[in-house]
Amino acid sequence: MWAKTRHFVLRQNVVILLLLLVVFFSLTIGSLFLNGQNIHNVARQISFDIPLALALTIVLIAGGIDLSVGSVLSMAAALTMGLQPYGSWFSVTVALLFGAGVGLVNGLLVTKGRIVPFIATLGTMTVVRGIMLTYTRQQPIAGSDAAFTFWGAGSLGPIPVPILIVLALALLVHLLLTYTSLGRNFYAIGGNNEAAFLAGIDVLRNKVLAFVLSGLLAAVSGVLIASRLNSSTVHIGLDSGLWAIAAAIIGGASLTGGKGSALGAVFGVITLGVLVNGMNLLGVHTYYQIGIRAIILITVVAIDALSAMNLRKKQMMQAYGARE
Amino acid sequence: MRDTASAIPQGELGKPEFEKQGFSAALLHFLAANPALIILAVLMVAGTVLSPVFLTTQNLLNILWTVSVLGIVALGQTILLITGNFDMSVAYVVGLAGITAVIAQLWGAGLVASILLGLLAGALVGLLNGVIIVLTKANAFLITLGTSILVYSLNLILTQSKTWYASVDSFLLLGRGKLFDTIHYSVIIFLVLGLLLQFILRQTIFGRSLYIIGSNQRAGELSGIRINRIKLATYVFCGTTAALAGLIMTARTGSTVANAGVGMDFDSLIAAVLGGTSLFGGRGGTLRTIVGVLILGVLNNLLVLLNVPYEAQQIAKGLVFLSVVWMDGLLQKR
Repeated sequence: MWAKTRHFVLRQNVVILLLLLVVFFSLTIGSLFLNGQNIHNVARQISFDIPLALALTIVLIAGGIDLSVGSVLSMAAALTMGLQPYGSWFSVTVALLFGAGVGLVNGLLVTKGRIVPFIATLGTMTVVRGIMLTYTRQQPIAGSDAAFTFWGAGSLGPIPVPILIVLALALLVHLLLTYTSLGRNFYAIGGNNEAAFLAGIDVLRNKVLAFVLSGLLAAVSGVLIASRLNSSTVHIGLDSGLWAIAAAIIGGASLTGGKGSALGAVFGVITLGVLVNGMNLLGVHTYYQIGIRAIILITVVAIDALSAMNLRKKQMMQAYGARE
Repeated sequence: MRDTASAIPQGELGKPEFEKQGFSAALLHFLAANPALIILAVLMVAGTVLSPVFLTTQNLLNILWTVSVLGIVALGQTILLITGNFDMSVAYVVGLAGITAVIAQLWGAGLVASILLGLLAGALVGLLNGVIIVLTKANAFLITLGTSILVYSLNLILTQSKTWYASVDSFLLLGRGKLFDTIHYSVIIFLVLGLLLQFILRQTIFGRSLYIIGSNQRAGELSGIRINRIKLATYVFCGTTAALAGLIMTARTGSTVANAGVGMDFDSLIAAVLGGTSLFGGRGGTLRTIVGVLILGVLNNLLVLLNVPYEAQQIAKGLVFLSVVWMDGLLQKR
């Protein structure tokens, strides 16, 4: 019984972490933190991060990583605003296609080009950022369709529209990962590339698809941000990629691949969102917040590596035990 | 057995075939092994054709002077790459070193003390990187990206987003001074450091062990190399070279800001890879990186001479990076 409980608690560490944060902020800043308006703000804020965390979760599950999501996000936002004179739906479609296209390039570089994911996506990150800077000439682009702001800035009753959209998206990703063969293939490839190949899974095709989904989701985030701000600037998406990696890992994904879930990603984003919101309400200076974010990223990556090391040790011990 | 041995084509003095064929064949062989030199030569020719001012001593010295800061960063990065590691925190360490030195000077530190403190700051960041990576065996790339942001926040806190000016006049010589009124000290530091490191890499046991760690860590471990200690040392070294570059950069303008050196993380990787150092460890050298840095410098110089906008240069850089890495992968497979 105790072992079972302990196992459950260890597995749900993100929920525990979140609860601790909420309790801490409720005790220190109480009514400032736990009121309808603030929760509304947090919900709107995190809705732009959730698609990115979902993107990273998918790629991490498939054993890759995608550093280009931040650049894709900013270019998607620029396209959404820049092409709006030709019609909002047209501009959104182009933005989403652009994201999927970058994902396709990433996937091909990793599979056909045999470049390790973080180097390949570091390259495309730079190229896409260059394309964005060239396209926008480093100037902000203002929107021209007021109705379009509904998707990012609108509310249905007390609930922000974007959070509804991204939660629907999270549900879709959850269904994809748990109930489709594509999703199961992602886990199989990330868990053991070789075994997946020998089991007859088309590893190359599935990996490319993981990167395409990642690019597409990053573009969704860009479209929503553009709709929220009704403009695009060169400053968005600069460190969102790293933040999304942290959120995905907090939510249970691992750099070693084969682990993670859509639900975990959402919880990861909420945890980080609550933390940032709490720091803002407490009046922590931006400079220190940047440092705290960095420490969180380092800690999360380090813990992930340590637990992977422990797992390897345990497996080795078991293998020896079985032989003796 | 004797038959197979005699079947290998041998020259008169038992030298391999290409050495027998004389100087031109040896040169061809050498160039095939160092494609970066060909790229550099092509760029130089293109520059001479495209612009009359390109092939002047002044312009060439200018290029050297411009690239020497990035060059020093790239030398440290190369040492890490050879062991199969990365340091993405170098960009903001460049800033941190300058800020530390300038602030130390404001507090009354002299020339030597402020320089030593600047170098110490870089070494400490390197130590932090090394300790985390050695202890957790975590992804070096992400960890150093994390410390990079951490150092950036430190820079912001120290400078409060203001520009700070060096107050010791002799400090400026480090960036502006010239030997015999022709070559900047920073260029000499860059080239001498590159040569010295190449010697250490090729001729010392320590240097050779870096290649072993990069190509087969397990084998290195089994042959008694103290992997962790060497990894720590290389991270500290890389942090220190980045700090040295930061001090020179600060001494040039006499001032510094929180994000001085931004972009040098990626650029130092490109320079090393362009020169022929592998991103996957075990292959490369600092002489190659000098060539890589020169390629970047000449390319930038050309793009400026041709009025190519900054934004397009970013795209070009990324594409060059991807294609070089891709070719590196092809070479490895063979």
